[in-house]
Amino acid sequence: MRRCTRILLSWACLLALTTSLQAQDQKKEKSASEQQKKPAAAKPAEKPAADSKVKTRDLVINLYNPCGVAVQPDTGHVYISGSGYQRILRFTPPKENQMPTIAEVINGFPKDVYGKGPKYEIGPLGLVFVSKNLLAVGGGGNPDGKEVLWFFDVSQIKDQPIDTKAAKHVAGPIPKSEKTNRGEGNFYALAYDGKAIYITTNGDDTKGWIARCPINNGTPGKLELFIATKPQVETTDAPVGITLSPDGKLVVGQAGEINVPEDSLLCFYNIQTGKLELKLETPLYDIVALAYHPKSKTLYALDFAWMAPDKGGLFRLDVTTGQQPSLKVTKVLSLDKPTAMAFAPDGTLYITLIGTAKEGDKYKPGKLIEVTGLE
Amino acid sequence: MRKVWALGMCLVMGMQVGLWADEPYKLQIPPGLPPLKVPQDNPLTAKKVELGRQLYFDPRLSRDNTISCASCHDPTKGWSNGERFATGVRGQVGGRSAPTIINAAYNRFQFWDGRAGSLEEQALGPIQNPIEMDMTLEEVVAKLNKIEGYRRQFREVFGTDVTADGIAKAIAAFERTILSGGAPYDRYKAGDKNALSPAAVRGMKLFFGKANCAACHSGPNFTDNGFHNLGVGWNNKDPDLGRYLVTKQEGDKGAFKTPTLREIARTAPYMHDGSHKTLEDVVRFYNKGGNPNPYLDEEIFPLDLTDQEIQDLVTFLKEGLSSPNYPMVKPPQLPK
Ligand code: HEC
Ligand code: HEC
Repeated sequence: MRRCTRILLSWACLLALTTSLQAQDQKKEKSASEQQKKPAAAKPAEKPAADSKVKTRDLVINLYNPCGVAVQPDTGHVYISGSGYQRILRFTPPKENQMPTIAEVINGFPKDVYGKGPKYEIGPLGLVFVSKNLLAVGGGGNPDGKEVLWFFDVSQIKDQPIDTKAAKHVAGPIPKSEKTNRGEGNFYALAYDGKAIYITTNGDDTKGWIARCPINNGTPGKLELFIATKPQVETTDAPVGITLSPDGKLVVGQAGEINVPEDSLLCFYNIQTGKLELKLETPLYDIVALAYHPKSKTLYALDFAWMAPDKGGLFRLDVTTGQQPSLKVTKVLSLDKPTAMAFAPDGTLYITLIGTAKEGDKYKPGKLIEVTGLE
Repeated sequence: MRKVWALGMCLVMGMQVGLWADEPYKLQIPPGLPPLKVPQDNPLTAKKVELGRQLYFDPRLSRDNTISCASCHDPTKGWSNGERFATGVRGQVGGRSAPTIINAAYNRFQFWDGRAGSLEEQALGPIQNPIEMDMTLEEVVAKLNKIEGYRRQFREVFGTDVTADGIAKAIAAFERTILSGGAPYDRYKAGDKNALSPAAVRGMKLFFGKANCAACHSGPNFTDNGFHNLGVGWNNKDPDLGRYLVTKQEGDKGAFKTPTLREIARTAPYMHDGSHKTLEDVVRFYNKGGNPNPYLDEEIFPLDLTDQEIQDLVTFLKEGLSSPNYPMVKPPQLPK
């Protein structure tokens, strides 16, 4: 544990902190010129306002396919799915007189390979805290029909990382049945409303299931299929991004096909009945994460943009409901294969991104970044 | 500022041309199909659709006056050609089968590999393809400008002589009227429980369930508009790499566009290389899990369908998706 901390700290965190300011400046210049090159008519990308107050900072670098992030209540510690190495990491943000740390805290998750080229090694995916110390982890390394949802009591983690065998509870799997012709897997993203966790899954593509796991007094119940999204939206499956709206709707980003551009849907489902209440077409490629700003209640989305990573990034989604619902999409940041995000209560946003490896790179290209100044 | 003003003028003038020349085409969207998105710069008008119909059926668009669009996309053959591959001028044969153009108006991409987006973008391709119609755009424009009937109609519709842009727009407008919906499946879905035979109902349930077809053939046009590798033709010496040729993404090797299944009973043989003669062949191919290869789509796996289930699925495809209002169009009188 000690050694691991040091390696990651020196490689990642310290380096990140000493160079992140530089890195950030370079990045700013680059993205400014990138923005200039964009044709003005590009559909989603009304370019970030020049006087934008939004600031980004690399917190952890050298991550391998990070695919999930959650902020622990009270402590503000940031948990990351280090999916490529099948582990969970904990980042403690810097405080006055206190250095940031990064540590491997849970390991031993199963591994899978996603995609046929590009290919991504993956393990654990979505993360969410269901209480002060109980962390839910969506699995991605098991085959469809065998995948599970793990629960870890993170207060039990001392000096050494713990193994998945030390999980406090395990929910699932959701095996093959009448309702799902292969069983479900790839528990991409999790949302928790105080009563249940809602999980986007990937298994039966004729259904595009969202699963639900009730939580009673801190104890998970049975993981079950909840909403078949595809029969309701008809065309698009692959629910991936998920969150809860301030008025209690389940908000789902349906990513559609990875090799089809601009086919993501933004859908609002009734959390009691599972009925689709609003479906909006977006100009985004693959919505993989959704989150509301805790103060302004503005909705943000991450677009992974599998087939055109230069189109990916953080987007602000302004939804107008009423007679003719509409959606305004504004690009806030260009990001290289972003995967997940979580707001801290003060409005600081943490984003994991996979990045792109370059020849001769010493580090893995994945990162945890911090975004401040969002409205 | 001046630019804006000039643009305004163009718009006003454009509108006037439209007003005096032509009336909107009253497109009937068959039941079960969604509203059609028509590009703003190519509205459907009655005369334009008629002009497009003539161009579509006119073999003079080809070098030796033998081949029209309808040679390969023939209304009497499901708007395909009934052959494994398409045969162009001088009997030359290409390497892919001719897809139907029924409901092509709803496609996000055109061609098996999706290399064209809109119908406008697509229409000039075959004219210039050396093994299809083998003309240059200058040649075809000059040739049609010598035909008084075309010059008159182009002036009425576009306010110009024959242009390549006008040819593309007129043909695309015509293609947008070739729609199939209102099939027994649509009536069943709308509540008429007698619209399908019991075997077709069983087949429909398999289609949307155990047989996994709706993983890709989804929505009103029975396509996700995506690209998938089923392994069709993968064992050939130089397999057609399909979508990969356009995107150069490794994972797209051997992936082809999911085609619509409406009017599927009329468009044999099947697949991008016409390698499956019957719908039963196709279903048996899926039942064994396609043709395994490193790029095989995750949604293709052995289905364990019984012979009875295979028959039911075929019945659904034939009976459920064939509309009594098939879009039959007769070849028009061609202008002189
Ligand atoms: C010699 C035969 C031939 C002729 C002539 C021909 N086509 Fe095609 N067409 C094809 C073939 C083969 C394809 C598929 C090619 C591919 O995917 O690479 C195709 C594809 C198409 C598609 C795409 C449909 C889809 O679902 O992807 C459209 C639309 C189309 N043709 C319209 C036309 C029009 C309009 C004309 C006349 C201007 C025309 N074709 C002439 C053989 C022909
Ligand atoms: C993984 C996505 C996928 C699934 C699942 C799938 N299809 Fe297809 N289908 C395609 C693609 C892609 C093609 C074209 C493939 C090619 O030509 O290489 C196709 C072609 C076809 C064709 C030939 C159409 C033509 O015009 O040539 C038929 C018929 C068909 N599918 C029926 C079915 C049935 C029935 C099922 C369920 C048993 C099914 N499909 C499941 C993607 C899929």
